[in-house]
Amino acid sequence: MPSIDHKGWTKRLSRELSAAWAIARKDMRIYYLKPNIIVSGILFPLFMFLAFAIGKNAPAGTLIPGLISITLLFSASSIEPVSIPIERRVKTFDRLLSAPISLHSLVAGESLSGFLYSLGIACLPLAVGVIIFSTPIVHVPVLVIAMILTSFCFATLGTLFAAYPTENVGEVMSMLNTVRLPLIFISGVFIPISTMPQIGQKIALISPLTYGNDMIEFAYTGKSLFSPLLDIVVLVIFIMIFQIAANHLYKKFNE
Amino acid sequence: MQAIEVSHLIKKFGPLTALNDITFSVGEGETFGFLGPNGAGKTTTIRILTGISRPTSGTAIIFGNDIEHDTIAARQTMGIVSENSNVYDDLTAWQNMIFSAELYHVGRKEREKKTNELLMTFGLHERRNDKVHGFSKGMKRRLTLAMGLVNSPRLLFLDEPTSGLDVQSNLIIRDVVTELVSEGVTVFLTTHNIEEANVMCDRVAIINKGNIAAIDAPESLKKTIQSVQSIELSFNHSSIDQLEELRRLPMVNDAHKAGDKFKLYTEDPSEVIDAVMAYAHTHNLKVISITTLGPSLEDVFIRLTGLRRTGGAAHAID
Repeated sequence: MPSIDHKGWTKRLSRELSAAWAIARKDMRIYYLKPNIIVSGILFPLFMFLAFAIGKNAPAGTLIPGLISITLLFSASSIEPVSIPIERRVKTFDRLLSAPISLHSLVAGESLSGFLYSLGIACLPLAVGVIIFSTPIVHVPVLVIAMILTSFCFATLGTLFAAYPTENVGEVMSMLNTVRLPLIFISGVFIPISTMPQIGQKIALISPLTYGNDMIEFAYTGKSLFSPLLDIVVLVIFIMIFQIAANHLYKKFNE
Repeated sequence: MQAIEVSHLIKKFGPLTALNDITFSVGEGETFGFLGPNGAGKTTTIRILTGISRPTSGTAIIFGNDIEHDTIAARQTMGIVSENSNVYDDLTAWQNMIFSAELYHVGRKEREKKTNELLMTFGLHERRNDKVHGFSKGMKRRLTLAMGLVNSPRLLFLDEPTSGLDVQSNLIIRDVVTELVSEGVTVFLTTHNIEEANVMCDRVAIINKGNIAAIDAPESLKKTIQSVQSIELSFNHSSIDQLEELRRLPMVNDAHKAGDKFKLYTEDPSEVIDAVMAYAHTHNLKVISITTLGPSLEDVFIRLTGLRRTGGAAHAID
């Protein structure tokens, strides 16, 4: 009977969502204040930014969109590459793998904690821009959507890399950094994409940070390389690809 | 309905066959022991039965739900207590319990009630708001078991439940398991403590090199090797030199010394008793105690897995 099926699916979905939320809350309690998360998620993007911003002949306030972008990239993708290898080592990850929840919920729950952490941390440069530099925000709703999508995209990327079956945090972080570090140079954060050579411009198209940063720039300046709608669509596609790939890898590596 | 039905389960890791076509079933309400030396396939079997790993071929059905295709429904009926006390050290005992209940979709009121009950049962209620990293090994083990029971499972997987624990934790865990069994909960127990399996289990399976070597009630298994009977004795003065002399007595197949006692393996206990009394008389020794023992489950295990005894311990034959 369709009505029973519908009810069954609603119940199932509600259970899956609450389990994902429980996993996210558990990560928040345990990992948000771990020293390696603070270094990787807060200090690392800050120092990276300062290294490039100091000496630039631009008003400090105009650098805020770039700082928000790299904060989202590093903070969102820092929780799971730390938490999951640790949980593999102490065998608590088996608890999640053997729970009556789908792998999608497990992956989503893990990503959710990185997502919320990143949104919280990215509010710091946002607040600095507003309070100290009085940086105007032209399109607030676009900025909110950009931050949400960019954050969730990189949180899912972190969960994807954490699928690698190791108990060593350093191993996952090394692999992740070989992807994260080039992203900040090819995505228009420090160097505008339009000034990059042809090959650089083409590579920029395959970076999710390009689209997140483009939307954030649009929110602050009203100017962007692509339309915000296209940025949204591409970021959603990246999220789906990362989620499906993560799901596949967790399944494969546990066989 | 059977609690567990395993049929022709095969698991390969590249060229290595970890499980080689194993078939067995566990009845509802049964306490089933799963014994085997390290690397025999116990962990692989549990990982498949709990849906963490997938078999190369074969099926595992938990209360009518195929673990591979109806994974979530099958897992909802289980409680899993892993060998490692896999609790979250940075959470309190209460938070660990509530998290476990949330993963198993236990309703809000029920999970708080159940958490309170279980923490009291396991003697952890007073420490419920303390972070687990300050807990002793026994307390962590008790919390692991409490977390495995928070969803009131029909089937409980217990992996080495009392290994290396203090007496208090050991007693609490055994009492709780006994009570669960009396309530009709099915228990799938893996343990290195063969005496524990002997006392607790209705049936045991002995797995070796990915094959089920035997599966039966402990007493029935012992009957299959009646030739391995033994005599345990102690003299008023004992020394290691006596061991070799006792081993050379007629009808003695093997002998070991453990503490002040000697254990002589034989097929004919009465003849060996006569020989021991004569030996004691000749050497001016007084027999303090002498007991005839049937084969233990450990003897069955050693016989079936091809292990050999060295002193008091059993070692694998390569």
